[in-house]
Amino acid sequence: MFLVKLKNSQPLKLLFNMNNKLIELACIIDDDDIYTNLVKRVIETKKLCKNLIIFKNGKQSIDYFEALLQNLEDSKIPDIIFIDLNMPIMDGWEFIEQFTKIKNRFNKLITLYIVSSSINPVDIDRAKSLNSIKGYLVKPIVINELEVIFNKSA
Amino acid sequence: MVQIKMPPKPIDNNIGYLELKNNNIYCSKVFLSDLGYSTKNKKISLEFFLSNLIHKDDSNQFRNNYFSFIKSNLDFRQSMLIESKNGKYKEFVCTTNHDDINFNNNKANSKFLFFNKRKYKTNKKVKKSQFYYKETAEMTSTGSWYVDLIKRKSYWDQQTRRILEYPEDYIPSINKSVSYYPKESFELVKKLFVMCYINGESFNTEIKMLTKNNREFWAKVKGKPVFNDKKKIIGVRGIFQDIDETKAKELSLQRTSNIIASQNKRLFNFAHIVSHNLRSHTSNLSLVVELIKATESKEEKIELINTVEDIASSLNDTIEHLNEVVTIQTSTNKSISPIKFSESLKHIKTSIGQIITKNKAMIDSDFSKIDTINYIPAYLESILLNLITNSIKYKHPERDPVIKIRSYIENSKTVLEITDNGIGIDLEKFGGKLFGMYKTFHYNKDAVGIGLFITKNQIEALNGEINVFSEVEKFTTFKITF
Repeated sequence: MFLVKLKNSQPLKLLFNMNNKLIELACIIDDDDIYTNLVKRVIETKKLCKNLIIFKNGKQSIDYFEALLQNLEDSKIPDIIFIDLNMPIMDGWEFIEQFTKIKNRFNKLITLYIVSSSINPVDIDRAKSLNSIKGYLVKPIVINELEVIFNKSA
Repeated sequence: MVQIKMPPKPIDNNIGYLELKNNNIYCSKVFLSDLGYSTKNKKISLEFFLSNLIHKDDSNQFRNNYFSFIKSNLDFRQSMLIESKNGKYKEFVCTTNHDDINFNNNKANSKFLFFNKRKYKTNKKVKKSQFYYKETAEMTSTGSWYVDLIKRKSYWDQQTRRILEYPEDYIPSINKSVSYYPKESFELVKKLFVMCYINGESFNTEIKMLTKNNREFWAKVKGKPVFNDKKKIIGVRGIFQDIDETKAKELSLQRTSNIIASQNKRLFNFAHIVSHNLRSHTSNLSLVVELIKATESKEEKIELINTVEDIASSLNDTIEHLNEVVTIQTSTNKSISPIKFSESLKHIKTSIGQIITKNKAMIDSDFSKIDTINYIPAYLESILLNLITNSIKYKHPERDPVIKIRSYIENSKTVLEITDNGIGIDLEKFGGKLFGMYKTFHYNKDAVGIGLFITKNQIEALNGEINVFSEVEKFTTFKITF
């Protein structure tokens, strides 16, 4: 996994998990089944978080979040979201736009990472320009680095 | 025409003249001696004078003047070159009356043409430059014109008449100027012309003109204001240049350049697609490999190896799709042949007959305006097939699909329009991505996102254009301009 430094990225010392706390809920939004299955496997074997939800496109996940707003339940709000850019029906950019409008209503810090196989500078620059994006990860992801991300976000 | 200013008239008692009497021409002593001949008055023929003595550049004009004078008593003054005995040309000014002489008393039945030797050789230069001017005008197909705003008359030189295919005696007029241009260029010329005579702005434009035979051609039209002493604009002077050949080359170059630009754009897009789509598989592969390395359990390793199979198969799909796109790019020089829309549609109806019946789809076609097109038959079928199956795939759940297909001519191009009554598509949201690869917008399971991408590529590879109009829940129209 390749981490693109963004303007609001955190200092290095925070990358290490100091308190051994586990992330409660992580969320992956990606239409590539093979990829999501593999990541799921990584997360399970490495025990990176307690629960994981997977959506196949932006629309599915936005529907989930909007429904959640009606009945806020802390355990159902993810701490971290990994979102793909190229997806059918609602792509990553559109999801980010819609999600940014509602994210403050969850009363929880939700970290947003883009995970894409696009190495198009246009995409990377666009991600850099958005404050809501914590990082841009270029596929293929590297297991060790995924661990680091999970730990620092915990 | 270039106006020749007369030098101060030499008054001289030895005047050369031709006496015209009862169809005979007598040549005066002085005139003969001016030309180096013996000194007796001599009878000559008009033909001889025209073809042997007078310079060929001047003879036509002289002939016209001569007959107008004989028949209608129209006076004239013409300068000309006349060959003398030693073969050298001398310049004369021929006039029909002479201040100093009055022959009328004793020679009542005669008419006279007087030939004054020119003392100043200015005419030669003018003649020469006039020759160059004519030659330049002819070789560059440039005609001049003048519009007199005071007399409200317009004037053309012969070259203008030639360019516009009008006879040599055609008299242009301001009122008729609408017939010198096709409709769309006339408006533009009118505007430029008005700006010129009101604001004094010169103009220079490339525009389509219309000849007398209704042939359109590209012309360069330049104009500039003409002022009088009081700096008032009294006319507009300018040129027409026939640039049809050059313009045709320019336009074809422009077309070629557009094609190259669009091909380049497609290749660039394609490179991105290739890179992106292949990357997603290779990155999955590396992830699997990493997982296999990391895991201890044998069963898990075997399970992961099975995943490689899945990756291989989807990689294969991607390669096939990309291959299809590459084929489009490289097969545009394939046999283009006349093909009937109706024929193509018939094939499709047969091949997807089951789908049509199953979905109770109605296909209503009208190719009465134009039924035949020069195209790659396989492409036409593929385009029609993609759009028709799309219409069926995205039919409205509450009604049976009705697909209307019609062809017509627009701006001298063939257009094919396919309209359905399906669920439509939110163009504001998806319009930009509609023709992208692997873009799907509906929840249909079998949406792959390759059909419209291929369709657009096929159409553009043959320099066509596809546009979409739609209203959600109502209809979708694809308009193909070939």
